Amino acid sequence: MKPPALLSMTAPLREDFEIAYHDIGSANPSPTVALVAGIHGDELNGVFVLSRLAHFLGGVAAGRHPGRRLDGRAIIIPAVNVLGVNTRNRRWPFDGTDINRMFPGYNAGETTQRIAHAVLELTRPAHYRIDIHSSNLDFEELAQVRLYEPNDGERGTARLFGLPAVIERPMNTIFTSTLGHAWRACGGQNFVLQAGQAGTLQPVHCDRLFRALVTFLWRTGVVSGVALSDEDEEGQYFGVGHTMPLISEHAGLFISRLDVGRWVQAGDVIGQVYDGFAGELRHEIKTPVAGLLSGIRRQPLLFEGDLLARIQTRQAVAEGVDTYLHGQGQ
Amino acid sequence: MQIDHDSILTLELPYREQLQLHRTVFHGGAGPKVAVVAGIHGDELEGLYVCHRLAAWLEELALTQSDALRGRVELYPALNPLGIDTLQRFVPVFDTDLNRNFPGHREGLLPQRITEAAMRALDGAALVIDIHASNVFLREIPQVRINQESAALLVPLAHQMNIDVIWLHGALTVLEATIAHSLNSRGIPCLVVEMGVGMRITPAFTDQLMTGILRVWRSLGVLAPDLPLADLTHQPLLADDSNVHYLNAETSGLFVPEVEHWTSVRRGQRLGCIVSPHEGSVQSAVCSPVDGVLFTLREYPVVYEGSLMARIMATGSEGVQ
Repeated sequence: MKPPALLSMTAPLREDFEIAYHDIGSANPSPTVALVAGIHGDELNGVFVLSRLAHFLGGVAAGRHPGRRLDGRAIIIPAVNVLGVNTRNRRWPFDGTDINRMFPGYNAGETTQRIAHAVLELTRPAHYRIDIHSSNLDFEELAQVRLYEPNDGERGTARLFGLPAVIERPMNTIFTSTLGHAWRACGGQNFVLQAGQAGTLQPVHCDRLFRALVTFLWRTGVVSGVALSDEDEEGQYFGVGHTMPLISEHAGLFISRLDVGRWVQAGDVIGQVYDGFAGELRHEIKTPVAGLLSGIRRQPLLFEGDLLARIQTRQAVAEGVDTYLHGQGQ
Repeated sequence: MQIDHDSILTLELPYREQLQLHRTVFHGGAGPKVAVVAGIHGDELEGLYVCHRLAAWLEELALTQSDALRGRVELYPALNPLGIDTLQRFVPVFDTDLNRNFPGHREGLLPQRITEAAMRALDGAALVIDIHASNVFLREIPQVRINQESAALLVPLAHQMNIDVIWLHGALTVLEATIAHSLNSRGIPCLVVEMGVGMRITPAFTDQLMTGILRVWRSLGVLAPDLPLADLTHQPLLADDSNVHYLNAETSGLFVPEVEHWTSVRRGQRLGCIVSPHEGSVQSAVCSPVDGVLFTLREYPVVYEGSLMARIMATGSEGVQ
């Protein structure tokens, strides 16, 4: 059966294209949850996980999983930026605009404004709305819930994903044109998930993300009969001011051998900066604070002022310059 | 008059090289300081040529009538030098619009360090002129764009700029992270000029704007009051949210215009059409919704549904003045 499309458009030379989505459990009048990924065409973890989730939920709805039942309705858009995925482009490839800077959109405006409008309209009726990102080409994020000026309901619900970290960040003027921000005017509860790194797909992050989404759907009553293991560690909540960015004072080649999700002590070495011509060690990067390593730079080419890592701290620290940095993957 | 070439920022690149932000400074008397900024977007070149022409004019003035420079002129032809050198609109590597990174931060990412250095350098200016050249898609008639918030101060200046349109934007559309908003909100008047099209230079527009810039500088006391300058040749029309009409493509294909840029058009007049390379029929006829003047016209033929093809300022039954 042909899946529904939230938008169909002509293309200059190719055949018409559409942004397809899954509508699972559509006997219910209004959707319980809307899940969106691939607003950025290079963030593939979310695309893969949402396609797998749609496959799983479709199987549950069709009765292929004995003992499991779908009690809600899920709208799933694995990829909004279809052309961007197919041409390996973060942005809308034709005019270079970032779809996640086009919300709330406009149905008579530019192409990406129309796309934004259609995504918002489709997801508006859902109670829970989840936008999945994977940082950017340079940075790897621990699978986490990102909250921007949430309400108390969202703070509580965010724990239901069972992810290792819920991280609350200050709102940034750059983010006011994102889908996550546009949802705030729609009521319900809204979440941004971050996991991994753009450009490739990391199975470890995908597995964790998939488990988190199924856990969430089970705990919110969308699906029942799911047997979940308790292997996930207890998730940690980090409020505003509990994020310590490590910023490079040097240019060069940055190398780190650490994995995200580990706890570090003050003074631990995070990585090294080398002179890319002479080969000498220029600087050893040490964390000044203890905490959870929630993100690490994977792009070796380093400018002055680049973000090297983020540490989530138990005690509040000054966020300082990080509020000026662009949100990875958002 | 003294002429200096210096750099307002030096940053290390990952492998051996340095990035420098160059400017040219013409020191005259103790009069006001003014600046021209260009090349914020790496694909907009019209402003670079304006800077060249202003430098040539000032160098000539230094030889012929050096004391006529009563103030100080600073030219910043390329705030996004990596973008210009690599043919990219945005800041390379960071993939961000430099004009959404103001006022910047001294310890931020490279784009924010550039904008912070620019804001510091431009502090105290009596006028900053920020020259843009649209993008590669649309051709614009020389115009100044002003947000309502700053209209009282800037509109009188814009009237002397020898441009064809002043476009007043509603306060709701203010883009906070632009250079213009950042400067104006700190009390440094900044006029945003849009003209021409990306990746090209249009010498006739440069001549037109030069006349306006020099006359504004003279009125501010940067140039001697008795210095003879060319007369204004253009009087701007006033555009705002109420009289600007947008023509977005109804379908995808090739947009082929049938009228010249900056001409009067009648309601219902055909301006062009969208065709498909696969077949002979016309996919969509593009007609003017109003009597007016065509001040934006698409230069790049390929359109998607929704692509902007033209902007028309309604002029009522009288047509263009």
